[in-house]
Amino acid sequence: MATSTLTLEEIREQILQDEQKAAFLARIERGEKIEATDWMPDEYRQLLIRLIHMHGISEVMGCYPEKEWVPKAPNLRRKLAIMAKVQDEVGHGQLLLRVAEDLAAPLNRTRDDLMADLFVSKVKFHNVFHMEARTWADAGLIGWLVDGAAICTQASLLDTSYAPYGRMLKRICAEESFHMQHGESICLALAQGTAKQRAMLQDALERWWEALMFFFGPPEMSEAAKKMLVYKIRTKTNEELRQKYLNRYVPRIQALGLKIPDPNLRYDETKQRWVYTEPDWDKFYRIVRDNQGPKSRERIELRRQAHEGNRWVREAMTRVRARMTG
Amino acid sequence: MREGIYDVYEVFVQHNKTDHHVHVGSVLAPSPDLALHVARENFLRRDRAVSIWVVRREDIHATSYQDPDFFARETDKTYREVSGYTENGRLWRMFKQRMMNIEEVVEDMRGDDR
Repeated sequence: MATSTLTLEEIREQILQDEQKAAFLARIERGEKIEATDWMPDEYRQLLIRLIHMHGISEVMGCYPEKEWVPKAPNLRRKLAIMAKVQDEVGHGQLLLRVAEDLAAPLNRTRDDLMADLFVSKVKFHNVFHMEARTWADAGLIGWLVDGAAICTQASLLDTSYAPYGRMLKRICAEESFHMQHGESICLALAQGTAKQRAMLQDALERWWEALMFFFGPPEMSEAAKKMLVYKIRTKTNEELRQKYLNRYVPRIQALGLKIPDPNLRYDETKQRWVYTEPDWDKFYRIVRDNQGPKSRERIELRRQAHEGNRWVREAMTRVRARMTG
Repeated sequence: MREGIYDVYEVFVQHNKTDHHVHVGSVLAPSPDLALHVARENFLRRDRAVSIWVVRREDIHATSYQDPDFFARETDKTYREVSGYTENGRLWRMFKQRMMNIEEVVEDMRGDDR
């Protein structure tokens, strides 16, 4: 993920060199929203596919750390709730892949291609879903802090220039409000629990903190990410989102009596921003790009088995459709 | 025959018999029957509803976003709207009366109290 030395203004100037792209960018800068059937520059389409495909696959892969806790949930209500959450993630994955496949249709790529890209590492998914969910506290912390981070990102994308993505995100954000309460409820219960339960929560935070800092991406963004800003596919930088996240979550984490495992973390009053230890970017790039995380291989293999196991159903359905349409 | 070549169905949900069906998104499915099931699973995990319509996308006739003239409004249409009659409030006050609006009439007519 090479960072780019180009400024946003330089990238914008490059786009303006091309007459068609310039007219398109002018639409976006006037605040117009783009629809799937509108003409769009190839690079705009590719950027959208890249973002939404990864978002959709991340939703699907996000099921795996949590689904491991469905059979082990501490009581029936918790089991039902975490099951509902896993189901939502699958649903969100389907809605997002629907948006991505409309964009990919002119490139002759189908849902099946978008799914299969995962097995050959052609599509990445969020670093957090490569990590192990060791205890029930991890399951709770994923719901609280990982989903919290995802909600911040998704909420910032509601203003995207691509209308079909924005519409879908509205629905997704509405359902995420349950995920937020669900994760908080598990963590609040543990925080009020026995010394052992509180220690479990502290251990989980120590396992997840660095991955959470990585989640928003490096302060210096890639050229693709910068182009997304120029085309207003996204409207906030990685660092803006991380700062907003820290604003919101650090006081709450501390209020539960948890210790954030970063001795350098503090709010700098003069700079009006959070100072923190940068995560090991290279370690996480390897996890995301090369699927080298502790659970990457195992979860991709489970996904592949599910995809292969259901093949006969998809084939039967394809035959049904062929017979119906004659 | 390639597997997974399904149709896109646009999904319309009616939450209540007194409301119209509203477009909520689309699903990919091999048949209308399955499209209805996938639509329920994707869009109605929480909300209540009384009916779903699915329509194959290719069967929908739509205006083009490229033709905004279709929706052109060259002339002032305030004479069709409440906002064109703000004067009434002032006139009623001259007659020592208050202006009514449709919401309060509806509420009054539907209520039990007299």
